[in-house]
Amino acid sequence: MELELTSDQDLLRESAARFIDAVCPLAMVRGLVDSDSGRPADYLRGAAELGWFAMLVSEEHGGGTVSGQGLLDLALIAEERGRGLQPGPFVSMNVVAAALEVSGSTEQRGTVLPALCRGELVATWVAGAAIGQGGPGSSIVETSTNHGFRLSGRAGLVQDGAAADWLLVTTDGPEGFSQFLVDATTPGITVQPLRGHDITQRLAAVSLDEVAVTASALVGERGLARHDIERQLQLACVLSTAETVGALDVLFDMTRAYAADRTAFGRPIGSFQAVKHQLADMSLSLECAKAMVVAATGAVQAERGDAGEIVSMAKSWVGDTGIDIVQGCFQVFGGIGYTWEHDLHLYLRRITMNSLLFGQADWHRERLCLIHGL
Amino acid sequence: MSDEARVSDSADIATTLDDYRLRARTWLAENMERLESPSSPQWSADLTPDVMAANRARQRRLFDGGYAGISWPEEYGGQGLPSAYESAFLNEAEDYAMPDFGALSATTFHICVPTMLAHGSPDFLHDFIPRVLAGEVLVCQFFSEPSSGSDLAGARMRATKDGDHWVLDGQKIWSTLAHLADWGLCLARTNWEVSKHRGLTWFAVPCTSPGLTIRPIRQINDTAEFCEDFFDDVVVPDANRIGAVDDGWSVTQTMLVLERGAGRPETGLASSTPGPLAPDLVRLARRVGRLEDPIVRQKLARAHTNDFVGRILTARIGQMGRLGALNPGLAAYVKLFRGTYSPIRARLAVEIGGGGGMSWDAGDPEGPETSLAYLNGRSSSIAGGTNEMQRNAVAERALGLPREPSFDVDKPFSQVLRDAENWTGKP
Repeated sequence: MELELTSDQDLLRESAARFIDAVCPLAMVRGLVDSDSGRPADYLRGAAELGWFAMLVSEEHGGGTVSGQGLLDLALIAEERGRGLQPGPFVSMNVVAAALEVSGSTEQRGTVLPALCRGELVATWVAGAAIGQGGPGSSIVETSTNHGFRLSGRAGLVQDGAAADWLLVTTDGPEGFSQFLVDATTPGITVQPLRGHDITQRLAAVSLDEVAVTASALVGERGLARHDIERQLQLACVLSTAETVGALDVLFDMTRAYAADRTAFGRPIGSFQAVKHQLADMSLSLECAKAMVVAATGAVQAERGDAGEIVSMAKSWVGDTGIDIVQGCFQVFGGIGYTWEHDLHLYLRRITMNSLLFGQADWHRERLCLIHGL
Repeated sequence: MSDEARVSDSADIATTLDDYRLRARTWLAENMERLESPSSPQWSADLTPDVMAANRARQRRLFDGGYAGISWPEEYGGQGLPSAYESAFLNEAEDYAMPDFGALSATTFHICVPTMLAHGSPDFLHDFIPRVLAGEVLVCQFFSEPSSGSDLAGARMRATKDGDHWVLDGQKIWSTLAHLADWGLCLARTNWEVSKHRGLTWFAVPCTSPGLTIRPIRQINDTAEFCEDFFDDVVVPDANRIGAVDDGWSVTQTMLVLERGAGRPETGLASSTPGPLAPDLVRLARRVGRLEDPIVRQKLARAHTNDFVGRILTARIGQMGRLGALNPGLAAYVKLFRGTYSPIRARLAVEIGGGGGMSWDAGDPEGPETSLAYLNGRSSSIAGGTNEMQRNAVAERALGLPREPSFDVDKPFSQVLRDAENWTGKP
């Protein structure tokens, strides 16, 4: 939603749009709603070739950016993904890649990161209550043992949990927050695929029952992960809101075009003030949402001190007004939007679910008060 | 021009601008009073005769020092410099007491006089503009009428030609601070037998003209910023006409764009920093002992978020303007945001403060703050163009949605008035 892109960034956006159009257009997304993965075969490799999982990773570990500012590039891709309601993995996978890039051990960076960048392996983030997801009881605790650590607990709303080879598990404990990179096949881990409101993305609940890991699984230092988790939350929120705003942009444009074309009472319905004023209000909210995504992306990219605050404002604004905008689109489309065949409900599902992932609006608003010491 | 020449040119400009800034800094320190604390615009209630006189004197000092009308044409007493110089000067002047005439600052320097500069005759401007720059003339708008608010082109103020004069009859209303102004820019109908946009003409009118009565209107916040103005055979020389006879609508377009904030110098304040969380509302929540209440905290964060969103929206629309995409529809986004979220913010304050915020000890000067903000919150959704007019502008001019059928453009205005009386709903 940047108003000015470099020619390289334009190319990146176009290549993402072309890939989606060729490999996984909305008709195919729709056709795959009942499948396990929700995506066509070889989707990940193709996406990886375009750098979708590499932008937050240094070249040394198999990554690389287009503009030198990886998050700005990645946000462009997220918008295109939102336009086409693309299946995962994307947000959580990039969050894990970024976490390993910053705090991963030499071994984790050497083995896991390049495979993630190439789309050969899938990783996801298991965080739960630490990032405002799942409510009380949705947290994972760690205790130290003679051989390392034991992880126990449960987290819902894990993106692409069933497809994941690696889990980045965020834990709470007497020592504070820690993070572990765990093989998803480790004994004691149960990944339960969930059915959910958004039929175009896959969520899972992950349970850990006394899962034994060695110290080599630690990402960063034990008890000192708070800063990393904050950064991960910021990245996840930026990408998720960029995806939502991409989806909103397409949906709003469809609705605007419909209001201009559809006639009733002898005139285009978009000529009635009752309709056009609603569209003007929706458009105002959408322009604000675009501006907020740009502000949040820039602040997180630059690692500004107020990045966490701007992210929470963006997430709560886009979360709330995004739903208002979709509801308004329903009203303009009338009955046709209430049919399964129309794409409107697919957008409603994604936009609503995104508003609930990585902290819903009121959780972020409370966070704003805490950030300001209130 | 070769690239090399261009580089040295822009380097020159940068050097000159830096020099200019330094000279301004010195001049300000020697000539203007430093502020104790950052200023906020004057409330109309504070504009006593003494305050007005002091501010006129400040304007005079700027004029004598060569810092008035920095970007206005030299031939009319301005400095004829690019707007970057004006921004630089305003930047330097931030810590000083600058001339502040409340809302008359905007109507004079950002709306009416720029409109006159675009459409007025050189003879008129030669005489008039230097007096504005010297602080002798403040200008208000005689724009809305009791029968035409949103429907500006439906103005019924009658201007009748009489030799080299015009005679104005009718009534204006909502003219901001007209009772403190020296001149007004007045929209009048000069031809009733053509369609409504084609028979309008603008005149500059001295507020002391015989036959002109200006009365402040007592508002819901118990101040009087708006006036109603009665024109009873007010004689205006043809030399005071701004723009061609019957071509007033193109002048109006200029004015409306200026009114939405176009052409104002940027002060360079960073818009991308959120700043403190709604300090006025936090103070209020603390005063009524509700800072720990989770519902109140949600409202505080909501107000803070809306405040920030409004600022970055404004910056985004400004950026679109610089990229050449600005149309009147885009400018309306900013106005619509203000008109939508100012009342919401005022209401959040009422909800946060509860009954305790809306009642106060008789001697408490800050007590009425929430109540006044709540009353004032109703103004931005109406003044300067209602939310509905902004929604029309966004929908029709930015989103390209089809217009409503109109019943008043393809016939003489006199017939429009007759047909409106006998409305049938049929075109």
